[in-house]
Amino acid sequence: MVDLSIDGVDCFYESVKILEDVRFSVKTGTFLGILGPNGSGKTTLLKSISRVLKPRKGAILLNDADVYKMKTREVARNMAVVPQDSAIAFSFTALQIVLMGRSPHLSRFQSESENDLAIARQAMEYTGTWRFADRLVTELSGGERQRVIIARALTQQPKILLLDEPTSHLDISNQLEIMDLLKQLCIDKKLLIVGVFHDFNLAARYCDSVILLKDGKIVAAGKAAETLTSESIKNVFGIDVIVNKHPVTDLPYVIPISKPKDQQQRTLSVHLICGAGTGSTLMKILTDSGYNVTAGVLNVLDTDFATAEFLKIPVATEPPFSTVTEKAQKANLEMIRKASLVVVTSVPFGFGNLQNLEAAVEALKRGTPTYIIDEVPIETRDFTQGKAKALFDELKSLGAIFVTNQHELLDMLHVSEEKARMANGASSAHHLKPGRGSRKII
Amino acid sequence: MYFLLLVLLFMVTILVSLNMGFTPIPFQDIVNILLKNIPFLGDSVHLTQFQIDKEPIIMLVRFPRILCGALVGAALAASGTIFQGLFRNPMADPYTTSASSAASLGAALAIVLGVGVSTFGLLTIPIFAFIGCMISVLVVYFISRVGSRVPITTLLLSGIAVSIFELAIVAYLQTIAGDRLGPLTFWLIGSLSSTRTTWMGLLSILPFIIFGIIVAYFYSRDLNLLTLGEDQAQHLGINLERVKLLLMMVGALLAGAAVAISGAIGFIGLMVPHLARLLVGPDHRILIPSSVFLGASFLVLCDGLTRMLTSPASPQEVPVGVITAVTGVVFFLFLLRRKKRVEAL
Repeated sequence: MVDLSIDGVDCFYESVKILEDVRFSVKTGTFLGILGPNGSGKTTLLKSISRVLKPRKGAILLNDADVYKMKTREVARNMAVVPQDSAIAFSFTALQIVLMGRSPHLSRFQSESENDLAIARQAMEYTGTWRFADRLVTELSGGERQRVIIARALTQQPKILLLDEPTSHLDISNQLEIMDLLKQLCIDKKLLIVGVFHDFNLAARYCDSVILLKDGKIVAAGKAAETLTSESIKNVFGIDVIVNKHPVTDLPYVIPISKPKDQQQRTLSVHLICGAGTGSTLMKILTDSGYNVTAGVLNVLDTDFATAEFLKIPVATEPPFSTVTEKAQKANLEMIRKASLVVVTSVPFGFGNLQNLEAAVEALKRGTPTYIIDEVPIETRDFTQGKAKALFDELKSLGAIFVTNQHELLDMLHVSEEKARMANGASSAHHLKPGRGSRKII
Repeated sequence: MYFLLLVLLFMVTILVSLNMGFTPIPFQDIVNILLKNIPFLGDSVHLTQFQIDKEPIIMLVRFPRILCGALVGAALAASGTIFQGLFRNPMADPYTTSASSAASLGAALAIVLGVGVSTFGLLTIPIFAFIGCMISVLVVYFISRVGSRVPITTLLLSGIAVSIFELAIVAYLQTIAGDRLGPLTFWLIGSLSSTRTTWMGLLSILPFIIFGIIVAYFYSRDLNLLTLGEDQAQHLGINLERVKLLLMMVGALLAGAAVAISGAIGFIGLMVPHLARLLVGPDHRILIPSSVFLGASFLVLCDGLTRMLTSPASPQEVPVGVITAVTGVVFFLFLLRRKKRVEAL
């Protein structure tokens, strides 16, 4: 059993405070992940735990003993560290490197015994490195070398294993292999593992608990599944993410979304007739550019519906795989009535969503400008024996504006936006420099 | 395996270089003279008249000089091995850590101030060299201290800076040396031919060098761990600052003792550890003894060559530093090429 307590630690580099009042406590058999943006103090925290950077305030307690008052050798018998970059300049063999893990257990005048060799061999077999025991570490691949370093750490027979982004230089399959190995160690050997990680998903998948660090302070801590939420990640990293359940592991799965650009308030509102993912990009671009966006009618479970839900766009909906009903159609027309313009994406039309085209006709008749993104010829996406084509022709005759892609659409929208602003007499600055603000959005 | 070969090489080198020199003496006679001089056992050995004539050349000139050369070579090689392991830097040697230049400065001061001749006789130069070396290494160590730690990079940089400073003072001392310029210059070039390489000179440095090598050997596992980097060494239980300071002092002691008797002989501290590493690998437990024997053999052999190149036509001896550089570089490049070819296969 081992108990590691970080008791109100303040750490400095020269006069710069890196860690402030960090306190937590972990026990045997835990896999703890420390997450945070660059410069949040993750590595510093690990350094202060591993007796490299002495905290100016507070203490690191190993079973209630201050590690900075213990002998270096004694700490090394309890705690092993796997560094981020394990490049080794001198050409030792893998076995020689692993045997170095025995040195905290040996006195100056003692050399390694059969028993020490057996311990090293066991660690190497466990990590799958015994087969290249005699190869030079300088000639191993990054993943192999990292496994050798883990074997060395195990040879120290520690109770605590500290890892500083142990997989950051490795490819994905090596990353998973190393993390599986560590998880196994945590369970098999009842090790306490404290690791700094960059990747939320890796941390979510393997860590029991996580600590989120920001500017040297702990902002969230607890069970991985409860702590890794879109709110806490937004708070710490300043980015928007979607946190889903992983379909296979049922653990949190984090999908980052790029930062929205500076939003401009727009006067125009846009109603999208889309589906099957044809409107997702446009929804994101339009909302980021500050337009009010609505959409419909979309089936729940449609990709565009998921996007709209995430972007908090109002949608007229219909249950999955069902035809647009009168009720949904009414809701849709209501949204269209409120919108300043309608955009029809290159969605395929079948009998299930033909009503959406009829709604567009309705909009035009009412005098709402309607844009049609004609990326794919209607003939190839008309599954209604020509009915959709006929409605398309009608739209054309009613004066719908056909554009070839979304860039062209956005250009035209921005022009309309400027016109609308001028008509409303908004912002005199825009009168002087027309179009300046709108172009940079594209 | 390679280590035993190196020990054998060392023995052969000693015998061969006893043979090298102005006066030809056959091996048979050399062996007899040596046997005669072994206490107790030597009483039963009888020398011929020729051997009795040549005994002073062997026992008073060549043998002490060769043993001094062996000690100096061993000390410089061990010092270089320590510094390279400690700094994880192939460029680290007694020069880049200021040990050599500090020893030179100390000795130059002794010569120019005249204390070397007037006060205690010959021993003062070694003592000055030695003190200079220790002070300088400590100064370098404390200059490069950041907080409670001494990062290797600042240590190397300040070592080079201090070294340049010391060599500048030595250059100044040369300009004001006056009639002592001759001995000073000769000493600065580095040679084993001086009046210091006697039994007396040998005894004055022997304890320091033996002590230094033994301490270095006991810290060879620490050196292995230090080659992984300071943090990792500490994570594996090394009391970092204490071990670093101790190893620096030992490196300075070895370099100082060597420079004290032979002047500054370049190349050995830098190249011999590399050669030894190519032969026996990076494990300091075998690398340090190997470097010691390789360094000893190498310098003795080079010194033998200087004596062979001396003839009545050119009585001025070639400084041994010239030979060490020329032969050493060629040998080193050859080994490097061969190693590359093996790796390419």
